[in-house]
Amino acid sequence: MAAKKSRLSGQGRLESRWGIILAMPAILGFLIFTIGPMIASFFFSLTDWTIGGRPSFIGLDNYRTMVKDELFWKSLSVTAYYTVGAVPLGLIIGFALALLLNQRVRGLSLWRTIYYLPTLVPAVASAVLWIWIFNPDFGLLNSLLRQAGLPTSQWLYSEEAVVPSLIIMSTWGFGNAMVIFLAGLQGVPRHLYEAVSIDGGGAWQRFRHVTLPMMTPTIFYNLVTGVIGTFQVFNQAYVMTQGGPNNASLFYIYYLYRTAFTESAMGYASALAWVLFMVIMLVTFLLFQNARRWVYYEMAGAR
Amino acid sequence: MIRHSLSGSTGWSRRDLLRLGGLTAFGVAAGPALAACAGEESGGGGKANLQFMYWGSSFEQKAIQKMLDEFNSRQKDASVKPLYTPQEYDTRLNTLVASKRVPDVAYLGAGTAYRLAEQGKLVNFYPYLKKHPELASRLPYTYYWYGKDKLLGTQTANEVILLWYNKKTFQEAGVDHPPAEASKAWSWDTLVETAERLTFDQDGRRPSESGFNTKQIRQFGLAANFNSYGWYPLVRSNGGDFVDETGTKFLLNSPEAVEVFQNLQDLMYEHRVSPTPAQTGNNAPTTTVQLQTKRIAMAIDGQWVLLDMAESNLDYGIGVLPSYQEPTTIGFAAATAAFTGDHDDKTVELYMFHNDPRYVDLYKSGLWMPLEKKYYEDQAAIDSWTKNAAHPPEFRTAVVDYTLNNSVPMFDQRLKNTDAIGEVLTPAIQQIQTGKHKAKEVLDALKPKIEPLLQGWYPSQEL
Repeated sequence: MAAKKSRLSGQGRLESRWGIILAMPAILGFLIFTIGPMIASFFFSLTDWTIGGRPSFIGLDNYRTMVKDELFWKSLSVTAYYTVGAVPLGLIIGFALALLLNQRVRGLSLWRTIYYLPTLVPAVASAVLWIWIFNPDFGLLNSLLRQAGLPTSQWLYSEEAVVPSLIIMSTWGFGNAMVIFLAGLQGVPRHLYEAVSIDGGGAWQRFRHVTLPMMTPTIFYNLVTGVIGTFQVFNQAYVMTQGGPNNASLFYIYYLYRTAFTESAMGYASALAWVLFMVIMLVTFLLFQNARRWVYYEMAGAR
Repeated sequence: MIRHSLSGSTGWSRRDLLRLGGLTAFGVAAGPALAACAGEESGGGGKANLQFMYWGSSFEQKAIQKMLDEFNSRQKDASVKPLYTPQEYDTRLNTLVASKRVPDVAYLGAGTAYRLAEQGKLVNFYPYLKKHPELASRLPYTYYWYGKDKLLGTQTANEVILLWYNKKTFQEAGVDHPPAEASKAWSWDTLVETAERLTFDQDGRRPSESGFNTKQIRQFGLAANFNSYGWYPLVRSNGGDFVDETGTKFLLNSPEAVEVFQNLQDLMYEHRVSPTPAQTGNNAPTTTVQLQTKRIAMAIDGQWVLLDMAESNLDYGIGVLPSYQEPTTIGFAAATAAFTGDHDDKTVELYMFHNDPRYVDLYKSGLWMPLEKKYYEDQAAIDSWTKNAAHPPEFRTAVVDYTLNNSVPMFDQRLKNTDAIGEVLTPAIQQIQTGKHKAKEVLDALKPKIEPLLQGWYPSQEL
């Protein structure tokens, strides 16, 4: 017995050693490219480092400056506005399309591919495409509105419309959420639908009492990743608007990038990065707190 | 305050960089990877390995490469490699500085140049002025001084702002061309009247005719330019300025400056002769293409456009800017500076070589104008860069004489803290541009925001 046990544990040791070795690239990558820079940037955030200069320790001064920095508040509110608009809209559209693509229709995989395609278009290419769609004089959107006799908009070129325009554009990237929803829908137990049918329920009852509750973990997952992702929106400001007009689309990361690389104020930019990290942590924490109320897990304790 | 081929302190508008770069909109996609910053350590002793960092269109890339090859073939104990960075120049430069792998000679925006000079990273050219007399005889405003007897370099080349037009549109409308001599410069009203006669909607109606469709305009009379290099010459022409001579008092809300900005706004929303920013679009084609396609009939833009114009088959003309009180344009461009290292003498040699009209053909092709005074005064010297197919006959009066007699320095080239000022100024100017607020309202509100950022001028000194 004893011999057998030690042989097994020897194998166990071997396995765990290999496990660690094989996981090492990921672990090292995380340490070197994520944790390392994070610690470094926290240190820099306590200094007044300007590229080329000598950093000196200034404590929390960068964070104090931020409280009075108009552009910090502006960029934070613009980004929050964008998140509040883009995330729910993306979820609804992704969910609705996943429901449609979960039906048994001819050429299903073709449709799934087509609806996923926009996600594969490189971010910058789609930004350039949307600049044309939003063109107030000759763009697709205003032409359609004009033909329908509806009021047109200045889209990207007005302070009020620029963020809503970018929100509309963001829905184009529903593909990833849709695929995850689709996977979630495949996992909803068939027998529950049968039970509803036996009880005389129709399509709405099936959706309301089976699909929706069973999908809440997937919705929650997409919500959290969506919020984290949109808080870090950058491409649109960078490619399409340069933060304008009048800073109306000055997204947080774009402001941070500008601070770091055109003003070369690395210390302050690092502080900005840490504040965003805290904000995202806090929002995520609140979402998890709130999740207890509405997310249903079939297996208790699976959360 | 926008970086085109030469000027610009911060590069806020990448669009303009692209425009000049002649890249397609999709060029945006190809941001240079930071990972590609293969910095070459210059080996101690023996041969000096130099690096030349620059931005610009693919045309400029070729011309600079040719200049560097020429330098290499003349040097036995030094060789230079290009570090061509058409986009995200500041990002890459900052990364190189932070990792202590700086190039030897580099184009720099004003703000970056002064910062690096004050950090002691750049060569002070003052001691070299005696050895290189051609460095001491340039137009006064082209020097970048950062202290008494402290010179970080000069502009890479010179540029001025001009009025460009498509001759065909004038012929069709039966209107006189813009004058090519400063003494005959149009008044603002003449400019507006002419632009009105050159503006047509889809049905051929002019703004003054009833039924003019403001939403669908086929041809605009004039593209107003809201970049700082677009409005500043007009403000100076009207006797206004950005700040006072101490560099601490904001003057852009003076009646003279307000008049200019209101006039510019009225071009779009009152007279309807200029495209609004929305009508221009965020990825508008180059000035040359817009003139060529008759989207616009006239444009206020820099001398550097000549390169594109000469390459195209457009029948273009060059005029001087309209004048309020004094005919005025501005002379300006970003700096070229040199980083200190183990072989400063070789670096300075490369510096003196890199924009010498004898070795670089960017002067003859129209992108650059020379820095030395003699190229504007001495007939043989003038001919050496203007007597060729790229330079039209009116170039002599509309550009050479205009530069020598009517150009003033650009404020953001000598003003301290110019990057931070620009970040407040740009959004405010956009408010005027989008027509939401009257010029006076915006500029009055701007005063308390700009004044805390004003830290005076960098010095300038006689040579």
